[in-house]
Parts: sequence; structure tokens; C-alpha cells
Amino acid sequence: MAGRLISANHAAALAATLAGRANRTARGFCSGVYPITPSTECMELLCNQEFEKGEVVRVESEHSAMAVCIGAAASGARTFTTSSSNGLALMAENVVSAALLRLPVVMVAANRALGPPWNLWADHGDTLLLRDSGWVQFYCADNQEVLDTVLCAYRLAEDHRVLLPVLVCQEGFVLSHTTTRTEVPSQEEVDRFLPPLELPARLRDTPRALGGVDVPGVAEAHRAQHHEAMARVFEVYREVQDAFERELGRRPADPVVPYRAEDADLLVVSMGTIAVTAQRAVDEARARGERLGAVRVRTFRPSPAEQLAAIFRGKRRIAVIDRDLSLGFGGVLWGEVRGLAEPGAVVQGYVIGVGGGDVRPEHVAAVAADLAARTAAGRPVLMETGA
Amino acid sequence: MSERPHWNVPTGASPLPLEIRVHGRGGQGGVTCAKLLAAMFAEQGRHVQTFGDYGSERAGAPVRAFTRVDLAPITNRNKVYRPHHLLVLDAALLPSGSGDDVLDGAGPGALLLLNTARGLAAFTSSHDAFRVAAVDATAIARRHGIGSAALVIVNTTVAGAYARAVDLPWAVVERAFRSLGMDGDLGAAREAYAAVAVRPPRPGAIAPAPRVPAPPRPVLGLAEHVRDVPTALPTGTWRTQRPRYRSHVAPCSAACPAGNDVVGFVQALRTGGVEAAARLLLATQPLPSVCGRVCPAPCAAACNRAAYDGAVNVRALERWIGDRLADAGARAPLAARPRRFAVVGGGPAGLSAAFALRSAGHEVLLLEAGTGLGGVLRTGIPAYRLPLDVLDRDVARVLATGVDARCGVAIDGPGVRALAADHDAVILAAGLPRPARLDAPGASLGGVRDGLGFLDAVRRGERPTLRGHVVVVGGGNTAVDCARTALRCGAARVTIAYRRGREEMPAIPTEVEEALAEGVALLTHRQPVGFAGGGAVARVTLAEVEPGAPDASGRRRPVVTGRASDLACDAVLLALGQGPDPALVPAGWSVRGGRCMDGERPTDVWLAGDLATGDGTVAHAIGSGRRVAARALAAVEGAPVPAERAAPAEDRVTPAHVRFSHFEVRRPRPERHAAAADRARCFAEVNGGLEDASEAERCFSCGRCTRCDTCLLSCPEGVVSRSGDGYAVDEAFCKGCGVCVAECPRRAMEMTLDAEAR
Repeated sequence: MAGRLISANHAAALAATLAGRANRTARGFCSGVYPITPSTECMELLCNQEFEKGEVVRVESEHSAMAVCIGAAASGARTFTTSSSNGLALMAENVVSAALLRLPVVMVAANRALGPPWNLWADHGDTLLLRDSGWVQFYCADNQEVLDTVLCAYRLAEDHRVLLPVLVCQEGFVLSHTTTRTEVPSQEEVDRFLPPLELPARLRDTPRALGGVDVPGVAEAHRAQHHEAMARVFEVYREVQDAFERELGRRPADPVVPYRAEDADLLVVSMGTIAVTAQRAVDEARARGERLGAVRVRTFRPSPAEQLAAIFRGKRRIAVIDRDLSLGFGGVLWGEVRGLAEPGAVVQGYVIGVGGGDVRPEHVAAVAADLAARTAAGRPVLMETGA
Repeated sequence: MSERPHWNVPTGASPLPLEIRVHGRGGQGGVTCAKLLAAMFAEQGRHVQTFGDYGSERAGAPVRAFTRVDLAPITNRNKVYRPHHLLVLDAALLPSGSGDDVLDGAGPGALLLLNTARGLAAFTSSHDAFRVAAVDATAIARRHGIGSAALVIVNTTVAGAYARAVDLPWAVVERAFRSLGMDGDLGAAREAYAAVAVRPPRPGAIAPAPRVPAPPRPVLGLAEHVRDVPTALPTGTWRTQRPRYRSHVAPCSAACPAGNDVVGFVQALRTGGVEAAARLLLATQPLPSVCGRVCPAPCAAACNRAAYDGAVNVRALERWIGDRLADAGARAPLAARPRRFAVVGGGPAGLSAAFALRSAGHEVLLLEAGTGLGGVLRTGIPAYRLPLDVLDRDVARVLATGVDARCGVAIDGPGVRALAADHDAVILAAGLPRPARLDAPGASLGGVRDGLGFLDAVRRGERPTLRGHVVVVGGGNTAVDCARTALRCGAARVTIAYRRGREEMPAIPTEVEEALAEGVALLTHRQPVGFAGGGAVARVTLAEVEPGAPDASGRRRPVVTGRASDLACDAVLLALGQGPDPALVPAGWSVRGGRCMDGERPTDVWLAGDLATGDGTVAHAIGSGRRVAARALAAVEGAPVPAERAAPAEDRVTPAHVRFSHFEVRRPRPERHAAAADRARCFAEVNGGLEDASEAERCFSCGRCTRCDTCLLSCPEGVVSRSGDGYAVDEAFCKGCGVCVAECPRRAMEMTLDAEAR
């Protein structure tokens, strides 16, 4: 059996390394890193890699880590960083800067609940805090997907029709610290898939200030450009999938992954590994004769609204499971998709597994049972996993 | 162990998918254990998944890890709730009552692999629904040195036992360990693979019911958060080992031939001043001002600080104490039943024996053949190293105790018999008065003389006039003393000829350096084979010497070659060592184990100092005198002879035990030396000693607690508190994490095993 026994943290670091080396004939690789559980092992492995053209810079904060990536990306280097939780919160100002400067930075987040009180475990609230920062966001469901998505992220981010930073999310511990067989491509394969980075404009010998001032009219135009670039992501991503399949022999997952959804009476929509658990619950429910289906939202930004609306067509009952809670509102994903169903459909929000609760198939079954008993959507249901 | 071609499905296991749960404590390596298991099954071509149940990640806390094995890719992202195999890295984690969840969800026939020192027999009546396997992985891993003193890491050892319990071939274990770079632990794994014992489940036995999930803990009301809620978690139950305050042996003290509590007196000087330090020092050492000048200081050579920023200058501190000690000694009261001792020889060994016995309340008659007490200290060590007034002050302190000392009394064999008849015991400490002769042609020429005799003459106030080139033969302190004294007596040029290399010279290295600084030349690997001259010596023939095969002491035996050359000279001083007076031990007696024997009858006549050991330093002589005195006294009183056992090597504090980062770099304080040009022609003392006692501040205090509070400050649980002269550890909450022991800068603590069955 091919593949290496590695964690998702290490899969991400190896993908970044391969991508970084693939840019050796251009402006090389640069990464600013600062440790935080559960993303630390990713930066540690990266720090131990050797780059014939490039450097991993250990800085004093997450804010500076992203600053390193911004400077390096602006001068044409392929860039990478990784963080989690409050580290992302501290980084946020420069996260926004990287996007508004349209720099193709790639970041891997090991999702962890924001504190205090301090909690180390999986929760999507940290990356969803960056929802409106202008980054593309992917949520992964296994180690292989983390590695593949990081590679795809570079090709997507660096495409001149996009030129946006990409955030690849993997749940802390559930993925970051779980070891499974993962296929790691050769440098030659990655070289074929990832051409050297060419920016339409980059910093050279002349010092320049980045950013400057956007007066109202120009700001409107910049925002519109940014928004349109987001809108082109799905089209470019399809080409990335094709190229990846051609060079590496497997096809990365679609932005939205339906599972036995076509004939389902009841749909469960979720992100990350909970969506895979939901697929196991679907199999169990189908075995009992219940027509349950599942939908995994893999690309959260740009919003896959059209794809979801197509899947939701004709569905009367849709459960949305969030591993996050927008306080005073409900689940963030639920808020995003509840308007995509047909009028009159029951789209009920459930919040499970925040702060690392182990969401199991029986929880998904409980969600389905609750939804089946409803005639109208109510306030979001906050559930406890008990573990 | 036979190699099996295929992996058999483990007895009692469910078919694939296989779910494994590992229970351990933080620091035992449970997550890596689960990963090793996964690697073994991956070697068998299975899909695997392995992860830890990460918590607060603190040493000692119960932790879990999981491994799944399947034929198809694994999509289950949940923890393992229904394990087929349970590995318990610390059997003390097994249910002792309520609240434990180690066995939770395991069905009948599940494999339960325990790391326990109690053996399978201890589990005959319990857990009979399970297939139980037992191995003492802690003992095996400890033998193989896996982990640290604070924590034995058992994961790899347990993995080896597991492989055997599920019939995995050894080759698979080897490949799995190699794939994770853990080959180093294969020895322990192999031992566990062979040692694990397995017992089948009892048919029909009922497994414990799965735990009913506890209701969610109530969330504290808002006001509750501002109160200091006492923790309800007695973390002391997590402990497998516990910290303990225990002194260890400092290398300086272990190295001292006199048996001084070196670290003790240096620390006493630092905290309590000269008088406090002297109280400790005088318990073993009556001549601190002397040793503080002439001791080769093996304490400093062994000092752990040498591995950091330079050894502590212990000798100079001893001198500081001796020179500033106001106490001139006092008459020691007599014991209730005083014994009568005679000591023959007033050198350091005799003075030490006399001091020890008189201080213990016994009558001591000290007989010295020479005109003054001190032996070679008085006759052989030049004034520029040891001024007479310094020697006299130390000797006076010995005599002040009430020793009856008589000089000018030479004792021979019949004299010893007479003393033995008059006294409870006699200690012979007459040293080695007979200089070794050189058997070479011309050795009796004028101008060739014995070095010790030369030094004695100078010490007595004679100033023999030397001129021209003086050759000194030898490599010990006497040779160096002769060379430097010859310079001071007018020699224009002095050469030391020594048959081995400079590193092998027994002389104190700093003395050699000082001699070279004063202009003495050193010719190594040379042996005189003849002297020539008309009446007086004019030439010495020096043959080249090559190092030969090592002798019993490990030193390479010098081999004289045929290559020789002549060296013109005007005088030769021979410093080739000394031998005992053959007439001292009474005729017909023999010596066995430092004691005179009359036939097969042990007498109460004992040998001490150089006469007994030939070690040749003042410190050795002092130690020998005191120890022989104790043996002689014990023999007289019919008490058991005090055992002299060196501390076991594992109790010594080595540089690896010292946390250097705790200490600021601080170079040794120099002693004040007269300039070479000023000192080389006069007998004034060369070394002026230290300016102050701050050198004592540099002592690490190896193995002795200094109340530095590092343990208290570094305890993650805050359960160390000051108590009396030391510290107390709250056992209810100490997790045995070992941070205090690891952080202790000086090895004043250690981890000890907690009983497994708590």
C-alpha cells in the first residue's frame, strides 16, 4: 500500500514544502511561522525542511508571521503559514491586508476553539471569524484532502483570474494529530502541477509602499474587483481539479459534496469531519429504511450558493450542523444556507461539537429525528455531545 | 520465537475493523504506543488510523490514545468507545472503585494488556471476562534506560508485548519500529515480546457493563466564577512516582583523601562564616592551613563547576578558613574510660591520629624522632610554599587538645614492642624516611645528593651554596621543590629530568607551572644512567625513555632505550621517592591489612599514613591517620570496626545532574601570586592566597539543598511549600510529574517509585 503514516499537520507541511520547492526557478519560498496548539507540528516540520531557494522565518507573533508572508508574496515568493484559534485572531489585521493586497498566500488553520477559557480542541469559530476577510476558505475532511487541497490552493491562488489568498482548514486533533496513510507526491509531480509563480506586478529593487490610500470611488472599484475574483474561483477551481487529476492521478473533491442526497427526504448539511460522520449516519439510516442524505460544504468562501440551491431543490427538510456558534445568532453555516432552500422548506440549525465534542453518528441521527418531528424551523438547537 | 508467515486474527478479537484503546499517563508515551501499533498493522497492508486524546498534556495525567485497523479506508473520526484491545500502560489506572473508565465498553473476550509488576497471577480472579496479558514493562524499560530518572517511558516496551499477545511476527515489529525511527528501543520490545504472559478469558464470564454517561456537569452561576473554587480533582492519584528531598554526594567530598565534607565546609563558609566552616573542617582535618597550601586538591579536579566556568578553588578556601580561624584549640576533656595510645611519628598521619584520639577523650603519647613536629611538612616542604609559622599554628591546635608530644625520640622494633606493652594500642606513622638510591655508575660522586636531605638542610636554616647547572632527577613534588629551592640557593640554571611525560608527573600541576615560570627547565622521557666527573660530578648521562606497555596502575611502564646523551652539570639532586625504615616493625612480626601480626595473632599495633599506603600526599596521610585511629579504638573497645565504604557511584552528582543555566557565569577568583622574577631568589611565600571568601559563592552545592526555592517556583501545581528547614510536598495533589526534580539545580532531590497498588 502506498503512502506514508503521517498526521494532517505533517501532510500540510509536506505539501507546503513541495510547493515551495516547485518555485525554485522563480522567486523561491518564504514562510513566517509562530507556534500554537494544535498547528504547531506543522510549522515544526516546515522549520526542519531545507529549501534550495527559500527560508522559514521564526517570528515573535502570528501578526508578524503573516507580515513575513505579505512582504515575501509581494516580491514574488511562494508563501505559507499556519496557525490556530487566538493566533488567528491576533493575525487578523494582516490576514485582511494579504487579501486586500491580492497576494496569493496559502495558510493552513488547525481549527481550535477561541478562548478564554482555554480550550485546545476542534471548533470552526476561529476561521469563521475571518469569514469576511477576503480569503478563499476550504474545510477538509481527511489527511489526504489536506495535502491535496494545499497544493490546489497554490494553483488556484496564483491564477491571474483569482489572485487571492487561500485558507485551508483542518480540525485540530481530529485531523491535525491523527495519523493515517497519506500519499505524498514526488517533487517531479508537483513541479508539473504547480508552475513557477508569476505575478502581474511585484516588488523589485525600487522600494514601494504597499496599500496607500483608496478614495471612495476607487475603493468601490477595488471591492468590486475582489468580489468578481471570488466569483471566478469555482470556474478556475474546476480547471485546477482537472490538472491535478491529470498530473497526480486522483481528483480533488468538489466545492460541495452531496452524499445519497438525490432521493433523500431529509438532508444534513455540515463542514469538515462532521460531514463524514454524517455520511456514516446516512448509511445507518438507509439501512433502517430512512431516506437521509448528507451534504458536505467544502468551499465556504466563495459561497457555493448556486450548487447548494440546486441540491436543495425539492427538499422540504434540511438540517444544518455547525461546529461553531455566532453568539446571539446561531450557526454560521446555517445562517449562510438557510435562504437557499425553496420557500416553505424547514431549514433548522443545530450546533454540536463546539470546543471539541466528539460528534458521533448517533448525534446526527438525533438531529434527523428532531428535524423529522418539526413542522417549522425554530431557534437553533444547541446540543451537547457528552464527551 | 518462530516466524509466522501470516498474521493470525488475534484470539478473542472482533473481526476487522479492529479498535484499540491505549490508557496511560502523560509522559509514558501512549500516543506513540498507539502509533507503533498502527505501524505494525500498516506493515501488514491494513488501513490504519491513530490519534491521541489530547488533554492538558501534563505528566502523570491519565491520557488515552486510539488505533483503528481495517481492510477499507477508515472514515470513522470518532474516539474508540468499544475497544477490542485495551492496553494499560500503568495498571494502577485500573478501576479501584468508581469513576474510572479504563475498561469502559470492552466486551467479553477483549484483550486486556497490562503493564504491571505484580504478574498475571494477581489478576486470576479479576477481569476474567477478558483475555488478560501481563508484562512488567516498567522494569524492562528501566533496565534498557528508556526515559529519564523522573519518568520511565514504557510505550515501546508495551508495544513489543502487544505484538506477541496478538501473534504478530517479530519481523513486523522490527519493521514498524524502524519505520518510525525507534530502532533503539527494539531491545526492550524484544524482551517484552518474550516475557509477556497471557491468560484466556473464562467462558461465560460477564464483562462490566458500559458506563452510563455522566450527566453534563452543571455550569457555575455567574457569581460562582469570582470565588476561588477548591479543586475537586485529587491529582495525587495520578502519581506513579514521587519527588523526595535527598542529599547526594558531591564529587569534591567523594574525591577528598582526608575525608573532608568539602561541599559542607564551603557552604558553611558561605552561609555561616569561618567559624562555622571550621567546625565541619576540624572534624576530619586538623591541619587546614597546611592542606590549604600544599594539597594537590583532588576536590577541585573533581569539581562539577569545571564543566561550566572553572572549578571552585577549594584549596584556597580551606586556607582562608585555616588562616583566619581564631580558635587556637582547647584541651579536650577525657572520656569516662580513657584509653592509652602511643603514636610513632609526628608527621601529618601521626598528628591526625593523635588529634582524633585525643579529641575523643583518650590519652595520646606522640613520639617524633626529629626535632620538631610535622614530619615532611617541616623537613621537606620549602618555606616559600609553607611558612613555618603556619605549620606551627596548625600543630599547636593539635597539641592544645592535650596530646603528650615528645620530639627527638627515635623508636625501633624493640621500642614498638615496649610501647605496645605499655599502651592499649600503638599507631605507627613514621612515614618513609629512606630515600631511594639510584643504581647507576658514579652515583656516589661528590655533588650528587639526596633531594629530601637537601630540602631538610635548607628548612633547618642552612643555606647550601649552589652554583652553575643543577640537575634534579624525578617528577614528584619533592623534585619540583628541589628545583625551585636550588634556584633560591644560587643555582644559575636548573633542569628537571623525568622518565615519563609532563602529564604523568605526580607533582601538583600548578607547582610545575610555577617552577617553569621561575626558569626551571623540564626534560621529560629521560633517565640518568651514569654520572661522571673528577671527584665532583660534572656530567650526567641521560638515556631516552619510551613509554612501554601499561602496568597494573594503567600507567605506561617506561622503557630505557640505548639512545643517550651527556648533560654538563655542577650538582645533581635525586628525588626518586622514599622507602620505609625496615627496622620499625618488630622482628618476627608481619603486617596484614594495615595491622601488625605476631604470627597469626593480631596485635594492637597499626600502620598509618605513607607507611601504610604510600599515597604520598598530606591529605591521604591525614585521612589515613584518622581512619586508622578509629579502627584501633574500635579494636580496643571491642566495637565493630567502622566500615569505610565509598558512596555508590550512582549517588554522585555529575555535571549532567547540574542545571548550569541556573548559575551565572563567574570565573574563579585568582589567588595573589608574587611575580616570578621577584620570588625566584627568596623564600618568602609565593602564594598570597585569596583576597576575600567570595570564591565560596561559586560553589554549586552539588547534592545539598540550599533552600533556593527552585522546586517551589517550578511546581506546576503549586503544591511545594516551605516547611521547617526545607520543603513539604502536598501528596494529595502532587502528580509526580518530576518537574521539581528536573529543575533542581543541584540534585538535592530524586524521584522514587510509588507503590503500584495504591
